[in-house]
This record gives sequence, structure tokens and C-alpha cells, in this order.
Amino acid sequence: MIVIDYLATNIFKQPSLFIGLIALVGLVLQRKSVGDTIKGTFKAIIGVIILFIGVNLIGTAVTPLSAAFSTLYQLPEANQFDPSICWTLLGTHGSTIGLVLVIAFAINLVVARFTPIKNIFLTGHIFFWMSYIFVLAGVEAGLEGTALTIFASLFLALYIIIVPWLTKPFVKKITGSDDFTIGHTSSIYIILGGLIGKVIGNKEKSTEDIKIPKSLEFFKDTTIATSLIMFVIYLVVGLLIGPAARLEVFAPAVETINTIGGMQYDLFTFSLMAGLTFGAGLTILLTGVRLMLGELIPAFKGISDKLIPNAIPALDIPMIFPFAPNALMIGFILSLVSSIATILVLAATGSLAYAVIPLATACFYDIAPGAIAANAEGGRTAAIVTSILGGIFMVLIISASIAIAFNTSAGFLQIYGGNDFSLWSIIAGIFGGIL
Amino acid sequence: MSRRITVLAVCGFGVGTSLILRMNIEKVLKEQGIDAEVINADITTGTSINCDIIFTSKELYTVLEEKTTVPLVEISNFMSNAEIAEKGLPIINEILKNA
Repeated sequence: MIVIDYLATNIFKQPSLFIGLIALVGLVLQRKSVGDTIKGTFKAIIGVIILFIGVNLIGTAVTPLSAAFSTLYQLPEANQFDPSICWTLLGTHGSTIGLVLVIAFAINLVVARFTPIKNIFLTGHIFFWMSYIFVLAGVEAGLEGTALTIFASLFLALYIIIVPWLTKPFVKKITGSDDFTIGHTSSIYIILGGLIGKVIGNKEKSTEDIKIPKSLEFFKDTTIATSLIMFVIYLVVGLLIGPAARLEVFAPAVETINTIGGMQYDLFTFSLMAGLTFGAGLTILLTGVRLMLGELIPAFKGISDKLIPNAIPALDIPMIFPFAPNALMIGFILSLVSSIATILVLAATGSLAYAVIPLATACFYDIAPGAIAANAEGGRTAAIVTSILGGIFMVLIISASIAIAFNTSAGFLQIYGGNDFSLWSIIAGIFGGIL
Repeated sequence: MSRRITVLAVCGFGVGTSLILRMNIEKVLKEQGIDAEVINADITTGTSINCDIIFTSKELYTVLEEKTTVPLVEISNFMSNAEIAEKGLPIINEILKNA
């Protein structure tokens, strides 16, 4: 009992140690050598520690912007959420998130073994954050303990099993093979794009016959592109709210973004530092995620290979990028433009209820794949329509999901939403509200 | 005695597809009895990692091409071990021979 008690109060409650424990079990199951097992377990733990640092850094880089947007849109106090809550909850519920991940994966294995739905979810970072989304949806609904774990596990299992299965026919249209399906937050846009492509356009007029300027290659480095866009957004928003307001909102934040003590506030330096701190945070976050997943996913895949030899892996979204790089670029740029336009129109008419900021990563990784799916079904016309509608839709679901997850994951959805994270926050939130 | 070579798999964020590619490269090399360290990274930090050979996708190939001095292999289907073996093994064997 003493051992169990110790594990429950100390090891299991530390997210990094708990994830390390999962990695340890995975490595032992794969019969790795003692040296590799220790190395792998430590790597996973260090990965989670790094991940949390990245998350904090991103938080400090975005918080002043969020405040500035509230000033700009003149949002009432009641509609301004605390952006730090979502990261605090990541820490307090980290172990539940890990446990839910394991349970949902076990359900996925059972379903793939005994039913015709053969997909196995292997996109680790989406797996992790989707677990986070469902745990926080449960927290928002007032659940705790076992009830919270069951609620989140069932939703996560539903998501990782059903969504890649629904996406599969559209992925097949793009790749022409049954080798894999997609397990990623862009699924909503892949399905939408595929359906739009079935209705309008002409498959023969593909986006891939268009010549795209080489200078746009810059955007393929998403971390750099996102930093640049954040910098520009800070600058523009700072200019829009005027000198008095920005001194009030930005100047106190000079110390929290990564500056050397004693820096004098000015808009240009502040915006540059905030934008690039975001990029640094993203780089750290990705390093952490990479260390953590590098140990977990091979274990998951090893187990799946043994139990379900004919499994179809549900993989990360860049798997379909090589099939239509032009559609990807067109989708990214058009959706970025249409989403910014939507935000501006809503703000001008006073109908923007929450601080929605332009999301470059969602446009690239979520909406643009929708354009790839649309192109496979209905050519360039369908790809263009999907990209523009996708940008508008993105703003609406970010806003709706912030409303529904107001006390929990709102801050996370503000930066990473606009995709399945938002959609499933809404679905789980409505369901949690009924409970 | 030949040294242990380092193989780098690169994708946009360095967490999803490059990990799949890494696992498949490891499998191909293991079948050939080649002992190598296979790591994965993102496009931003990938160019500053010391390695002997880089595997990447079609759309990132042109970006890496200008920044790297080690051999670069373009893989169009990350799930195809045959493609990895066909395009990568000759170069890896060459590196091992000269090492």
C-alpha cells in the first residue's frame, strides 16, 4: 500500500514522470536493452519538462497581444478570459491527460483488432493535445476524478477512431493508395474540401498546373513565418490602439518577454521581441514534443504491429503535402487573407465577442490541407472556394469554442484552435453541459 | 572498423512525419545490419544538426538543398521502405566505405 500511495501522490501527479513511466513500459515491452530503456525514459521526461517551458514562453509572448486585442475590439470585461488558466490546467491535469491517452489507445487497439475499422492513431502531438482538450472540456463541465477520466477517454477514443476513418476516402482520392489515412486536426477541412470538390469545379483543372513563385518557399519554414506574422500583428495592433493604450498594455509586459532587464519600451523593439519570443517558444515546444514522442510513438507502433498486422496508420498531415504543394500554398495564403478580413469585418461591425487573433499555423496545417482535398475532387476552383470559406469558418469556430471553453482551454484555442481542437471542444462542451 | 553514421529525417515541424520516416529508416537499416543513429528534426533547426545524410520530402527538398553540404535524399512516400532502401542505401553504403 505504501508503494501505491507513494506512486499515486508523487509519481503519477507529476506529468513528466508519469509520461516517463508510460515510455518505460513501452520500452520494456519492446525488449530494449537496459541502457536504451533508461535513456529513452529520461528523454521522455526531459521532453515533457522542455514542453512546459516552451508553453510558458509562448504564453508570455501572446498575453500582451491578447490584452491589446481586447482594447482594440473594446470587449466587455466579462468576455475577457485569463490566457494563463489553460497552461496552469495543463500542469494540474497533466497526469490525467497521459492516462486518458493510454486508455484511448487501448480502445483504439481493441476496435482495430475486432472490427473493420482498422486505423491506428499515430500522430502523437495531436493525440496529446486532443487528450488535453477533452480533459479540459470535462473540467469545464465540473467533472473530476474517475468521471473526468472516463469522459475524456471515451471522447478521445471516439475522435481517434472515427475521424481518421471518415477522412480515409478523401485521403485515398489524394494519394491514390490505401497505405495510410490522416490523423490530424485538419480533418474537418479535408472532409469539407472534399465535399465542396464533389459539388463544384473540374478535377482536370488542377492547382498543380499553375506556376507558383519561388519566393513563397519562405513560408515552408512555418516557425519563421509564424514569428514574422506575430511581429507584424503586434506592430499593426500597436499602431491601431494608439500611443496611450499601447503604453498601458505593452509597456508593463517588456519585462515578461525575453528582454534584458532595463530595456526601454518602444513599439518596434517590443513587437520584434514578442514575435521572435513566440518563435523561440514554438521551437522549444517542438523540441520537447519531439523528445517525448520519439519514445512513445515507436512503442505504440510496436504494440500495434504485433496485435494488428493489417492496421492502417493514421498519420500527420504533411504526409499529403507532396501530392499537391501548390494547393497547399494557395490554401495557406487565401485562408490567411479571408480569415483576417473576417476578423476585421466582425470587429468593425462590433460583432466580435472574443479576442480572436489571425492564426497562421491553422491556415497552413489545417485549412490548406482542405484545399489539397478539394483539388483532388474538383480542381483549382474547389481549392480556392474551400480556402476562402475555410478562413471564414475558422474565425467562427474559434469564437464559438472560446465561448464554450471560457474557463479552461480558451487561451489554448485562441492560439492553436480553428480546427478539430475548436470543433471537438464545442462538441464535448455541449455534451458536458448536458451531463 | 567503420564508424556509426548519423541519419537525419526532416519535416516541417519535426514531430509527426519525420518520426514516421525515422522509424522506417531504422527498420530498413536494421534489415541491412547497418548500425546507425537515426534522428528527426524540423526544417528550422534541422540545417544546424551534424549528420552524414538527410532524408526529407519533395516539398522541403528545395529548401534544404541550398543549406546543406551532406547528401540529401528526397522521399515521396514516407511509408515505402522500398523507396527508402532504393534511394538511400547506395549513398549510405558509399559513406560507410569512405569512413
